[in-house]
Amino acid sequence: MSDAMSRRERVVGLTSNLDTTLSAWFAVGVVLFLLQAGAVGTFFTGLIADFVGILPTADASGSLLASVTELFESLQRQSRSVPTLLSRDVVPNGGYWNGEEWVGTFLGLSPAVSWAIRVGLVYLYSLTWVAWAVFGYRYYRREIRVADWTPRDDMIDRFLSHKWGLFGAAIVFFFVVMAVFAPTLGPTTVEQNMRNSYAFEISYWNDQTQTVEQILVGEANLNSQSRGDLSRVMPMTYDEYGRFHPFGTMPNGRDLFTFIAAGSRISLVIGLLSVGVSALLAVSLALVAAYYKGRVDLGTVLISDGVMAMPQLLLLILLTTVLSESWVGNVYSGGFVLALIFAFTGWTYMWRSIRGPALQVSERAWIDAARSFGQRPRTIMRKHMLPYIIGYVLVYGSMTLGGAIIAISGLSFLGLGIAPPTPEWGRAINLGQDYVDTGSWHISLIPGALITLVVTGFNALGDGIRDAVDPQSDSESAAAGRGGGA
Amino acid sequence: MSRPAPTDRRATRGDEPLLSVRDLRTVFYTDKETIHAVDGISFDIYPGETVGLVGESGSGKSVTARSILGLVDEPGAIENGEIRFKNTELVKEGWDDRRGEIAIIFQDPSNALNPVYTIGNQIREALNIHQGLTGAAARERAIELLEAVGIPDAPRRVDEYPHQFSGGMAQRAVIAISLACDPDLLVCDEPTTALDVTIQAQILDLLTDLQQKEDLAILFITHDMGVIEETADRVNVIYAGEIVESAPTELLFSDPEHPYTTALLESIPGRTPPDEQLPTIEGEVPTPNGPSEACRFAPRCPLAVDECREKVPDTVSVDDRVEHSAACIFAGEEYGNRGEEL
Amino acid sequence: MSRLTYLFKRVLMTIPVIWLGTTITWAAIYMGPIDPASRLLSQGQTRNPAAYEAAQTQLGLDQQPLEHYLDWMTSLVTFDLGQTWLLYEGSNVNSLILDFLPRTLLLGFWSVVIAILIGVPLGFYAGLHSNTMSDYFASFGGIVWRAMPNFWLAIMLLAVLSISPQVFGFQLNWETLFIEIDSISGSPDMSRIWTVDGFLEATKKVLPAAVVLGSASMGNEMRIGRTAMLEVRNEKYIDFARAKGVSDRALVWKHIFRNALIPLIPIITSEAFLLIGGSVLVETVFGINGVGWLFYQAAIQGDLPLVGTLMYIFILITVGINLAQDMLYTIIDPRVGLEGS
Repeated sequence: MSDAMSRRERVVGLTSNLDTTLSAWFAVGVVLFLLQAGAVGTFFTGLIADFVGILPTADASGSLLASVTELFESLQRQSRSVPTLLSRDVVPNGGYWNGEEWVGTFLGLSPAVSWAIRVGLVYLYSLTWVAWAVFGYRYYRREIRVADWTPRDDMIDRFLSHKWGLFGAAIVFFFVVMAVFAPTLGPTTVEQNMRNSYAFEISYWNDQTQTVEQILVGEANLNSQSRGDLSRVMPMTYDEYGRFHPFGTMPNGRDLFTFIAAGSRISLVIGLLSVGVSALLAVSLALVAAYYKGRVDLGTVLISDGVMAMPQLLLLILLTTVLSESWVGNVYSGGFVLALIFAFTGWTYMWRSIRGPALQVSERAWIDAARSFGQRPRTIMRKHMLPYIIGYVLVYGSMTLGGAIIAISGLSFLGLGIAPPTPEWGRAINLGQDYVDTGSWHISLIPGALITLVVTGFNALGDGIRDAVDPQSDSESAAAGRGGGA
Repeated sequence: MSRPAPTDRRATRGDEPLLSVRDLRTVFYTDKETIHAVDGISFDIYPGETVGLVGESGSGKSVTARSILGLVDEPGAIENGEIRFKNTELVKEGWDDRRGEIAIIFQDPSNALNPVYTIGNQIREALNIHQGLTGAAARERAIELLEAVGIPDAPRRVDEYPHQFSGGMAQRAVIAISLACDPDLLVCDEPTTALDVTIQAQILDLLTDLQQKEDLAILFITHDMGVIEETADRVNVIYAGEIVESAPTELLFSDPEHPYTTALLESIPGRTPPDEQLPTIEGEVPTPNGPSEACRFAPRCPLAVDECREKVPDTVSVDDRVEHSAACIFAGEEYGNRGEEL
Repeated sequence: MSRLTYLFKRVLMTIPVIWLGTTITWAAIYMGPIDPASRLLSQGQTRNPAAYEAAQTQLGLDQQPLEHYLDWMTSLVTFDLGQTWLLYEGSNVNSLILDFLPRTLLLGFWSVVIAILIGVPLGFYAGLHSNTMSDYFASFGGIVWRAMPNFWLAIMLLAVLSISPQVFGFQLNWETLFIEIDSISGSPDMSRIWTVDGFLEATKKVLPAAVVLGSASMGNEMRIGRTAMLEVRNEKYIDFARAKGVSDRALVWKHIFRNALIPLIPIITSEAFLLIGGSVLVETVFGINGVGWLFYQAAIQGDLPLVGTLMYIFILITVGINLAQDMLYTIIDPRVGLEGS
C-alpha cells in the first residue's frame, strides 16, 4: 500500500519536474532562434523571391508571378531590418586606422581580432544549438520515453563511440556552420567585394599623406591582387587598405575567405538538393524492385546500368551544356539544374548500395505476414521495409554529398555549372592555377585542401553511420564519395 | 568410440598421455577488459581414446580447441599454461613442428573449405605437406581418402568446388583433408551441430569407424549431452572457462558431482518424466572478465551457500581410481545430505 | 547454369544497356532545348537561312524525330560516324577518334596499373598488419588521398614537378630524370609507341597524369584491399589451412590472396567510370590531347553531334570494361554463375 502511494507521488513529482525542465528547454530553444530569426527570414524569403522571379513569364509586369516576387522581396527587406546577434553590424570588422586608433571596428579592436570574435561567436552559437539538441535527446531518452531501450539507442551509442565517425561529424559541423553563416563569417560581403565592388566606398589610412582617404572597393581590389611573387596578399595579413584577409586575396584582388564561405553555401545547397532527390529516386526504386522482384527488379537493373554506362562527369558536362540556356539553367546561378542533373545521373550509385539491404528486408517473414492479412503494398513498403534501409540511405547520402562537392567544383573548374560571379570553390582553384608555383600559391591550395578535408569528413561520417547501423557490414562504397572522378 | 570399459582403457594403456593440458589460460584483450575465455583448465587425452568437452555456448569450449591447435589470434593470447603433445611443449616450442598431427574439424564445414580451390586441391595440399605426395599419386590418394570418408563418385567429385558439396558431404571432405595430414589427435569442434539430424548420425558413425581404423585420439567438443553420451570415454564439463567436473562418461551420467552437471543432465529431453516440465538452467554463462574470485556457477546454482560466493572451490577428487573430480565444495558428499541441509 | 551461359547472358544484357545509354544521349542532344544546328553556326551564319538549312539537312534534323533517331542509331551501330563541324572542322570522326583515343588509353592503362600496383599491396599490407602504426598511417593516407579532387591534385603535382624540388639534397628535375622529355605536361608522342624508347618516353610523359587519375582508385583499392584481407584472414578455412600445416607464406599467397582479390574486382572495374570521367579534367590540366579533352572541347564549343558520338564511344568502353570484369570474376571465383546472378 505504502509502496503504491510513494510511487504515485514519485510520478506526480516527476511530472511537474518534467514540465519545468521541458519548458525551460523549450524556452532556451526559442531564445536561440529569436537571436537569429531575422537572418533565417532573410534567407528563405530571398530564396523564394529568387526562385519565383526566375520562372518564365515572371518578367511580365503585373503578372501574378511578378507580384509574388515583389511580395517576397519586400518581406526580405523587412526581415533584413530585424536585428540579429550574429551580424556584421553587431561585431563589425570593416574599419580603418585614423593614425591613432581603429575606427568603426568592434570596440576599437583591430579588424583581425574583430573578425575572429565574430567567427568565434558564430561557432559558439552553433555549438549552443548542438548542446541544446543533445540535452533534449538525452532528457527524452531518460525521462520521457516509456521504453528504456530501443534498437536505435544501440545505433546512437555505437556511433558515439566511433572516433573516426565523430571526427567526420565535427568536420561536417564546421562546414555546415560555415555554409549557413556564410554572409556573417566573411570579413566582407559578396555584394561589396565581388558583385558590385564599384558601388561601395571604403575609408583607409594613407601612409604617405598621413590622412584618412576614400577609395572604391573595386579600385582597392585592383591594388590588392595576388599575382605571383611581387604582388600578393597572403593569408592572415592586411592589404594596403587596412582590410584583413584570413585566406589572402585572389588574383583579382577579392577576398578569398569571403569567396570560400559563400561558395560553401552553394556547394552545400546543391549537394543536399541533389542527394535528397537521388535518395528519393533510389529509395523508391529499391523498395518497389525489392517488393515486386522479378521483372520489375530486372527493369530497374537495366535502367540503372544504362545510366551508369554513361560516365557521370561526362553526362554532367553534356547536360549542363544542353540546359545552360534554358530558363531552369539560370535558377540559383545554374545550381538548381546542376543539382537535378546530379540527382538523375547519380541515383544509380545509391540504388546499387541499398538494393541489397532492401532485398534482404523483403525476404523477412513480417513482409509475408503483412501481405497475408491484406496490407496494401505501399503501406508495407513504407512501414515495414523503409525503416530498415533508411540507415543505409544516410550512409551513402553522406558519402554522395562529398562526391557532389567534388563534382560541382570540378565542373566549375572547367568553367561549367555555377555561373560567375557566384563563388564556387572549383573556380577559385582555376583562378589560382597559374600562380601555384609562385608566391601566390595560397589561391589554389586553400580551396583544394578544404575540399579534401570536407570530403574526408563526409566520408568519415558515412563510415561512422555505417558501422553504427550495421556493425557486421564491411560494404565499402567505392564510387559514392568520388563525384564521377572529378 | 566403443566404450566397453573406459576406466580399463586408461589403466591398460598405462602409457603417457598423448596430449596433456595443464593450467591453460587463454585471454582476450578488449578495450575495456581482459576476458579470461579459458581460465586455468587441465586435462589429458590418451592415445586412441575419446575425450568429451561439454558446456554451454560461451563457456570457452572453442577457445580451448583453438588454443590446442595454436590458432589463437589477436587480440587473444595464451597467457599461461602448458600444452604437451608427444613430448613437445607446444606453447613454448611452437606448433610448427607438430602441424598436421593434431587436426581439427569445425562446426560449419562450408566455412572450413577455401571456396576458390577444388576439394582435390585442398586434400593434395595436405598430402604434399605431410606425406610428400605430388601429381598423380597425390590425386589417387585424394580419391582414396574421399572414398574412405564415404563420398560416392569420388573420382569426379575430387575436381569439384566446395560450394558444390552439401553440408554433410562437405564435412566428410573436411574429415578427408584432416586424414590426409595423418593425425594422431582429432579435435572435433561441434562437428555435427550445423548438420541435419540424420546426417549427424552418419558423421558420428564415420568418426567412430575412422577412430578404430586409424587409432585416433579424439577431443570431442559439443554442447549436446546426448552426443557426448554416445561418443566419449571421458567427459570434461566446462563452465565459464573452468573445468567443473571430469569423469568417465558412464559415471558422469549416473553420478554427477557438480550441480552444473546435474542441471545439464536434467535439461536433456527424455531424462525427465514425460508429463513434467523440462528443467532449464536460469540465466546465462557469465563473461569471465577477471581472475576467478568465487564459484562462477554460484549465481545460478540452486545449492549455493555464502561460502560459494566468497572463495574459489578447490577441485576435489571424488574417486581416484577412475579420476573423477569436481570443483564444488559439496563434491563427494551424498546428494541426500545436501538436500537436507538446505 | 554453367559459367559460359552466365557470360553469354551478360553479353546479351549489354545490348539494352547500350541502347538505353545512346537513346538518352540522343534525346538530350537532338530533343533538348538547344538546337544543335544553330549551335554549330556562327552568329552571322545563323541568320543566313541557306546556311542554317544546309546544317539542318546535314544533321538530318529536317526528318521526323523517329526517322532521325533510327538513322542516328544505324550510323552508330555501323560506325559511320560522319564528320566534325567545329573542332578540326570537316575531319572524319572515325580518324579523329583513332587519333585521340590511344593517348587516353595509354593514360588510362597506366593509371589503372599504378593504382593497382600501389593501392592493392598497400591495402593488403595494412590488412595483414592491422592496428599497427603503419596500418593507421596507410589507411588514413588512403582516405585523404581518395578525397582529393583530381584536378587540384593535378595542379599541385605539376607545380611541384616544375619547381624541381630538393629531395634528399638532390635537385629533382623531372624533365631530365632518367629519360629526357621536352616538357612536363603535354601530349605523349604516340607515333613511336612501338619502340622501347618511344614507349618509355610516352609513359614518362603521361606518368604524372596517370598518378593523379589513379589517385581515387588507389585510395579505394587500398581500403577495400585492407578490409578484404582482414575478413579473409578471419575465415575458418584459413585456420583450417593453418591447422593442416600450410606454411605462412603459402597461407598468404595461396589461400588469403586469391580470396581477398574477389571483392577487389568490382572496385577495379568500377573505377573505370571514374577514370573516364576524370580523364576530362586531368587531360585538360596536363594538356594531353585525348578523347576526354576532345569531349570537353566539343561540349564547350557547341559541336553537339561530336559530343553524342563520343558519348557512344565512352558507353562502349564502360560496357566493355564491365564485361571484362565478369570474365575476371568467372576466372577467379568458381562460385560465379552458380548461385544465380
